[in-house]
Amino acid sequence: MIHRDMVCPFCGCLCDDLVVETEDGQVVQVDNACTLGSNKMMGAWQHRLKSPVMRDGGGWRDTTYEEACEYAAGVLLDADRPLMYGWSSTQGEAQGIGVSMAELLGGVIDSTTSVCHGPSILAIQEVGHPGCTLGQVKNRADLVIYWACNPTEAHPRHMSRYTTYADGFFMENAFRDRKLIVVDVRKSDTASIADEFMQVKPGGDYAVLSALRAIVRGRADVVPKTVAGVTKEQLVRVAALCKEARFGALFFGVGLTMAPGKYKNVRNAIELVDELNRHTKWTLTPLRGHYNVYGSNEVFTWMTGYPYAVDFSRQIAFYNPGETTAVDILARQECDACLIVASDPGAHFPKQCLEHLAEIPTVLIDPMQTATTPLCRCQIPTAVTGMDASGTAYRMDGVPIHLKKFLDLGYPTDTEIIGRIFKQVKEVKHP
Amino acid sequence: MRFVFNTGRTAAQGAGLERKTSEEYQKATSVARMNPVDMMDLEIEDGERLRVSGPAGTVVLRVEANDGIPRGTVFVPLGPYANAVLDGETHGTGMPDYKSVSVEIEPTDDPVPTIPALMEGIGGVALRREE
Repeated sequence: MIHRDMVCPFCGCLCDDLVVETEDGQVVQVDNACTLGSNKMMGAWQHRLKSPVMRDGGGWRDTTYEEACEYAAGVLLDADRPLMYGWSSTQGEAQGIGVSMAELLGGVIDSTTSVCHGPSILAIQEVGHPGCTLGQVKNRADLVIYWACNPTEAHPRHMSRYTTYADGFFMENAFRDRKLIVVDVRKSDTASIADEFMQVKPGGDYAVLSALRAIVRGRADVVPKTVAGVTKEQLVRVAALCKEARFGALFFGVGLTMAPGKYKNVRNAIELVDELNRHTKWTLTPLRGHYNVYGSNEVFTWMTGYPYAVDFSRQIAFYNPGETTAVDILARQECDACLIVASDPGAHFPKQCLEHLAEIPTVLIDPMQTATTPLCRCQIPTAVTGMDASGTAYRMDGVPIHLKKFLDLGYPTDTEIIGRIFKQVKEVKHP
Repeated sequence: MRFVFNTGRTAAQGAGLERKTSEEYQKATSVARMNPVDMMDLEIEDGERLRVSGPAGTVVLRVEANDGIPRGTVFVPLGPYANAVLDGETHGTGMPDYKSVSVEIEPTDDPVPTIPALMEGIGGVALRREE
């Protein structure tokens, strides 16, 4: 059977033009998806855990959904400071129940935002977000900057759907009329196709952004001959290109949020866009990784007022990144139980955090065996949203998109499983 | 020799995300890309192995020459290997130093560990069952 206009549940692009062919409950072909999306679609029906598994002495045993959910609820109820982490590769509906459960338990809920664009949010909280939809960029932008990111490998269809290779409604020949600037510490695949590539010394982004701001403001005289490895000539040329653009779009990746300076780098980028908006039209968009990490920020914010790292231990929502973020809580060995949903800290958290995760009762809700599996005590497999479950996800520009289901493999959804755990928690905490 | 340790996405790492138990994912995330001149200084050839020691520990990776990497930097795809050397310091932001940790690098003949072995070293118990 051919399923058209399916939405890809891989990255924040949420490409919604996939054509998926299924036969006897198997995916046999995926058209239009990038290598990342098609690998997920092609493989995700066949690599699932068959049933929940539980640690048993030195090994593992299969178990039922009833026992696994009961174990998860028990672990969370027994804990003084439970951490609920992940929430970025799941449906918005599940995220909502997660927040309610964290509140009732007096726990901490955090999403993978804290190790991707959390610092971007901190910067946006300081100086605002001059954003727009990706449709605006596609149809209007004649200058695109990719700063500290590599969409060729991390968001492979971003350029063909929204920027460099996309048609633009207000442009005669979009491919020729659009210029591309790439700023990075290494010459990535994206850098090799840029009109201008500015190679910055590691940790030098803040200085380069400041120099560009000075030049745009008319103070090129204060800029030295080179700034973090970039020549003044190039900085002046790039600043002129930015000012001449009719509509500029700056996209940035975790190269800004993870490098020294962290959220201050992003703040400086926003202020450069602000400066450019005195001359022409500019916008800024973080390139979000997980397909629904933006959704976790939205759902958490509607429900608690804060976008991630929300701590309910004071019986009100408290938020303080650096203290209530998952990496800090684990590194300080502060939580005494952990529920991980739709994410893989085993592969993506520093070693020090994983050592604590392995020591406490950790429950993982994820369809596949991951690097977190060996560290947890119990894993509950669920349906993959966008394949065998439908649900809501938010694109990187904040547009909510309904993901459609095209397979039925019999797995419960994340919403169902977290709902079952929440029901048992409520029976004790809120009879 | 000391290097700046940079991590990030690669297409192969992203393609393997749904099959972390596979050999492809293991291969995609256990590689260190380095400037060929730095490799000359270390007297190491493409495909050989090096030991990377960071604030949290040590890991063995396979080296791959890449002209796009500036001298003094090593690029490792994000994943369990890169994180084996990183610590939990976030400077009050919630974000670890995924792109700026300083590491010591030396050539080695030791084998690249498997992901289950890495996780067992941390205190986990691998679920050894083929999909």
